[in-house]
Amino acid sequence: MGINAPDRYERFVVPEGLQKISIEKDTKVTNAATFTLQREDHTVGNLVRMQLHRDKEVIFAGYKFPHPLEYHIFIKVQTMGKKSPREAFDDSLSDLIMELDDIRSKFQSEAQQRRDMQH
Amino acid sequence: MLSNRRLPDLKIRDLRDDYCEFELSNTDVSMANALRRVMLVEVPTIAVDLVEIEQNTTVLNDEFIAHRLGLIPLVSTAVHHMKGPFDDIGEKDFTDVELSLHVLCTSDDTQDVTSNDFILDHQHPEVYPVGYSDSRMQSEDAERPILIVKMRKNQELKLKAIARKGIGKDHAKWIPVATVTFQHKPQISINRALMDTLDEKVKEAFVDASPSHALSYNSVTKQVEVTETEAYMYDGEYEKMAQELHHPDLITITQSDNEFIFRVEGTGVLSVEDVIITAVDVLTAKLRNLQQALPPPEQNEGEN
Repeated sequence: MGINAPDRYERFVVPEGLQKISIEKDTKVTNAATFTLQREDHTVGNLVRMQLHRDKEVIFAGYKFPHPLEYHIFIKVQTMGKKSPREAFDDSLSDLIMELDDIRSKFQSEAQQRRDMQH
Repeated sequence: MLSNRRLPDLKIRDLRDDYCEFELSNTDVSMANALRRVMLVEVPTIAVDLVEIEQNTTVLNDEFIAHRLGLIPLVSTAVHHMKGPFDDIGEKDFTDVELSLHVLCTSDDTQDVTSNDFILDHQHPEVYPVGYSDSRMQSEDAERPILIVKMRKNQELKLKAIARKGIGKDHAKWIPVATVTFQHKPQISINRALMDTLDEKVKEAFVDASPSHALSYNSVTKQVEVTETEAYMYDGEYEKMAQELHHPDLITITQSDNEFIFRVEGTGVLSVEDVIITAVDVLTAKLRNLQQALPPPEQNEGEN
């Protein structure tokens, strides 16, 4: 490894003592919080942000990947108040998981159908 | 609680071992791009990660050969029940596959050292270079093996190569695909009324404006037709021609923001179907992991 380069695995291995997610409430804005996700990038950042935008309770959702050598992202969420930012974040993850399940089963049944046709 | 989930659709157009084309619709670009990114750098495969060189008298230095060995694609179906070096490892888990190689050139002619010269790990014979055929029973129609180095008389190469599970984020040698792309489905609409005012010759010229040939001229009906929507490359040539004819409304081309065409090309390391399914699983696991890691709600939440 180069002398002045970080180890490659640092990009995806959460170091000991660091939490995968931490939430920090905004001190000036009500119902707003910033989530820090360790060892994540645009893949999850943009996905979660766009899902949060679909939530009518969410006023603002944005993500930031501060630097290519800082292996974490920030997701900022502000809600109307019926839901806490944490709940909105949790819901968005559940929705995405369901969507992915859907994609998986649709792909598999399509692939199966093709195999059946060949036989 | 009302769910805000999307209801995506998926249609497979072509599915072979090393190529897949499918259409994903009723979802967002963020989902399409997340899948693309995961397929590229987060689907694990097996590649040579550590090389112990015992004897190397070839013209290439040790590091050079080690790097080449890393880039040789290894059939990675075993990756699903293998652990990576950064995972929690139990007693029954295995992380290393040991390939070895020993070639001594005794002939006066130049000798090739190739991926076929590998001696497989007898505990894991399912891990072998793509296109591998044992050098002792080589047939004529076998795939040409991957060249590692060329030797002259009395040169020797003896080494042990340890293959491990890894992801493309760590090093590009673990990327399971040659390419993964998605494109927005183009939407082309021709203003019929306006098009009819044009001369036959002009219509024919209009069709040839873009080298993508998304449009064609039907000489029987004397109409310009959209025949190859997806061939369109967003080169802007039709719009430019419309502009030049002083009819900017002649044609409108937009890209659909909820229909995506994916093209995945494999390398032989994993079947493309496996890559796609694993990518969905990896992304799901990532989100599940986040959900579990979410700190519990605070007691006084809801007060503000």
